[in-house]
Amino acid sequence: MGLTSGLARLARRAPVPVFPVVGAGGRRAATVLPTLDGIEVVTTPRAAVVLLVVGRVTRALLAPVLALHDQLPGPRAAVQWRVDGGGDGDGDDLAGVLPGLVAAPPGDGEQLRRLMGELVSGARTSSPPALPPVEPAAWRGVGPYGQGGTGMTGGVPYGRPMPGWADDRDGLKLDQLKLRLGPAFPPFPPGLVLDLEVQGDVLQTAAVGDNPFVSWPGDPPVTVTDSVEFAAARTEAVAVADLELARARHHLVWLAGALRHHGLAARGERVLRLASGLTIGDAAAVQALARSVVRSRSLAWATDGVGVMSGDGLPAGPVARAAGDVRDARVADDAYRDLGFEPVTDAGGDARARLRQRVTEVVQALELAERCGDRRREPGGAVEGPRGTLAAGEGESTPSAALLERLPDLLAGQEWGDAVTTVVSLDLDLEEAALGAGAPVGT
Amino acid sequence: MSWSAPLPALALVGAVLTAGAGALAMLDHLVGARTAGRPVRLLAALGQPVARSALLLLTRRATTPRTDAAAWALAPAVLVGMAAAAVAAVPWDRGVAVADVDDGIVLVGAAFAVVMVGVYLHGWAANSPLPLHGGYRFVALALSYEMPLALVLIAAALPAESLSIGAIVESQAGTWNVVRQPLGLPLYLVAGAGLAFWGPLNVPDAGDLGGGTAAEVSGPARLAWAGAQGAVLTAVAVVGAGVFLGGWHGPLLPGAAWTALKALALLALLAGARHRLARVRLERFVVLAWTVLIPLALVDVFVSGALAL
Amino acid sequence: MAAFGAALTVVVAGAVAVLVTRWLRLALGPGALTPPEQAPFLGGGSVETHAWSRYHVRYYAMALLFLAFDMEMVFMYPWAVVFVEEGVIALMEMLMFITILVLGILYAWRERALGWA
Repeated sequence: MGLTSGLARLARRAPVPVFPVVGAGGRRAATVLPTLDGIEVVTTPRAAVVLLVVGRVTRALLAPVLALHDQLPGPRAAVQWRVDGGGDGDGDDLAGVLPGLVAAPPGDGEQLRRLMGELVSGARTSSPPALPPVEPAAWRGVGPYGQGGTGMTGGVPYGRPMPGWADDRDGLKLDQLKLRLGPAFPPFPPGLVLDLEVQGDVLQTAAVGDNPFVSWPGDPPVTVTDSVEFAAARTEAVAVADLELARARHHLVWLAGALRHHGLAARGERVLRLASGLTIGDAAAVQALARSVVRSRSLAWATDGVGVMSGDGLPAGPVARAAGDVRDARVADDAYRDLGFEPVTDAGGDARARLRQRVTEVVQALELAERCGDRRREPGGAVEGPRGTLAAGEGESTPSAALLERLPDLLAGQEWGDAVTTVVSLDLDLEEAALGAGAPVGT
Repeated sequence: MSWSAPLPALALVGAVLTAGAGALAMLDHLVGARTAGRPVRLLAALGQPVARSALLLLTRRATTPRTDAAAWALAPAVLVGMAAAAVAAVPWDRGVAVADVDDGIVLVGAAFAVVMVGVYLHGWAANSPLPLHGGYRFVALALSYEMPLALVLIAAALPAESLSIGAIVESQAGTWNVVRQPLGLPLYLVAGAGLAFWGPLNVPDAGDLGGGTAAEVSGPARLAWAGAQGAVLTAVAVVGAGVFLGGWHGPLLPGAAWTALKALALLALLAGARHRLARVRLERFVVLAWTVLIPLALVDVFVSGALAL
Repeated sequence: MAAFGAALTVVVAGAVAVLVTRWLRLALGPGALTPPEQAPFLGGGSVETHAWSRYHVRYYAMALLFLAFDMEMVFMYPWAVVFVEEGVIALMEMLMFITILVLGILYAWRERALGWA
């Protein structure tokens, strides 16, 4: 077959389209993905050749991962990046359900390219479907009382139903779609499941689905992967410079994700490269970046007035500070006493304010890291994490959990694009939210 | 004199649309690489469109249950057909055009209007919530940019006293329209970017919809859709080069080369805009289009009219 | 007429070329898709109903305004051709026509019909 082999030779030079699914413990390892050479992160599995699972697949993530695997058109392969400390456990029998699963060390882009080369040339067969070929709502014909029309009409037993209608605020009653946006929806934080009722382009109700990272008895415990330094600072002594650098890096990674959501994927990649090797000497580059982001008129236009949250009832953190709430655990901290630290606040509490807030905090964190030298912070007391204040004791509510509780009220009535922008601007982490949750209800 | 022999006409339009889509992909890759801080390798960029097309051709075409198969198949075909119609109306040199009809502006306007139907159908046909939403969003965008687009094209027709694009190009022998109608080209580029749902105006295929109308499309169908978007943007650039940048006028080089260079310049501008500007909030853009862009376009029409008298 | 024939030819040719590309089957592997492979993409989530619905098009007021302006466009096409020979009177007449329509935009803007969420 001259044509296909010629095409295969050409296709091998294309970037590998990868659809990432981040599991437990995988968030930090997954941030390197957009910067890998020859890899392209795509927003839909239909465009992907490789399904990349980063981290451990928990119980609740198994079915969605298999569903996503099947949504990749052929030729396809599934790769899992095992993260240190992931270990065996609950849902890690992914290899049992996906026979062709390739285990790989995180960050190995070369292997992904090799895999795609084998797939397109036919040297490796495409991974077979993981789920049984069962139709979700099989057509069973006309019912005993004559109900159930032909084709698409009729109730559930007689084929897939049409959407029902619901009231709306402008007096019209039109059809309402009930859908579940699953744990791997690209703009959302990994693991966020939203049960939505959408009429037109407005979310009428939004409910947060079960957190897939809540650990069941006997499972490995939940750890917060992308702010480990801050969780560790509660019990160990850390250098203040390291803490502030970690904060700056965290906010830059968030900024890269936010830029990608707003259509500026290339700029987001540049920010990721800056974040990956961040040192105190990058202060000038970071300041230039901060200036360009804050001054971007198009970004301001896209986020102004979106997802306004007033300061009351918010957990202390960047989200509250962007609404004018001055609380910051570093104010009362001995380690920051003589550094002249003053919390940065912003006004407005909308997505634009949160963007400005985090960008300003990056610049401030680098300044603090430079000024504090070798100073160390003793353990004990509340730690100001990048998402908010982490309370001293275990089992207290984390900032992400508190924000997740407010999400349904915040999203109801918003237009779709604004709702997604709001979720992105809150910088949620489902693993952090699962920390204080314990065993799920109804085990 | 217009070409009535079909083969040269098909070859010209086919070559223009393919080259334009390929050039757009290359420019996008280059600007993206430079913005992202990746090493910019020119030779690799030249091979990118071919490599990606080959990969897409080797991938299977997936589908969703109960689609409108005819509409889904026709959507990219409609886009490319309309882009071909628009390119056909633009002259490449004095008297050299595939279809320099007497009302080329109407033909271009009609072709660009039907593009809206094509994109909407691409979203509707998949029977999936995310593409559906993308399609309806695009209709809102299309209704908003349609007026500024038509108005600035009419303003360009006023000095030429004719709706034929050949006549408009000939009327720019002294000064180009971009100079004597400064509002024209910027408004046209904004509307053109919306028409091809490119960059900041990419509402139907947005990331916050997981890819929007392209979320369920894979394999050769995905290649067809990407190619269709490139073709529409090429048509926008070619028509813009003819109507605002003086078409084939220019010293030294042959007329066709000048048209191509001007179209390429517009393509480069649009490709660069994608990586600099964030995607718009649809509602905000609709309000802007009706309250700012349409009045500006009207000012453009009447000032050009007053100057033409 | 020949010009329109040429335009129609390239339109049909372009459409056919795209259809041929779309229907190419060069991928290796089994042909039929199982139902889970056809499920709509929702980030791993699901939807029970069809997506086809009476979609609440909230910008219908703006669409009506667009209709009015579209009718105005129909008049502006021939106006552009005869404009220069008709002189200032043509300018004045179109100016009056447009002003009436612009009042429509102003009304829609004030009544917040242009935004919808």
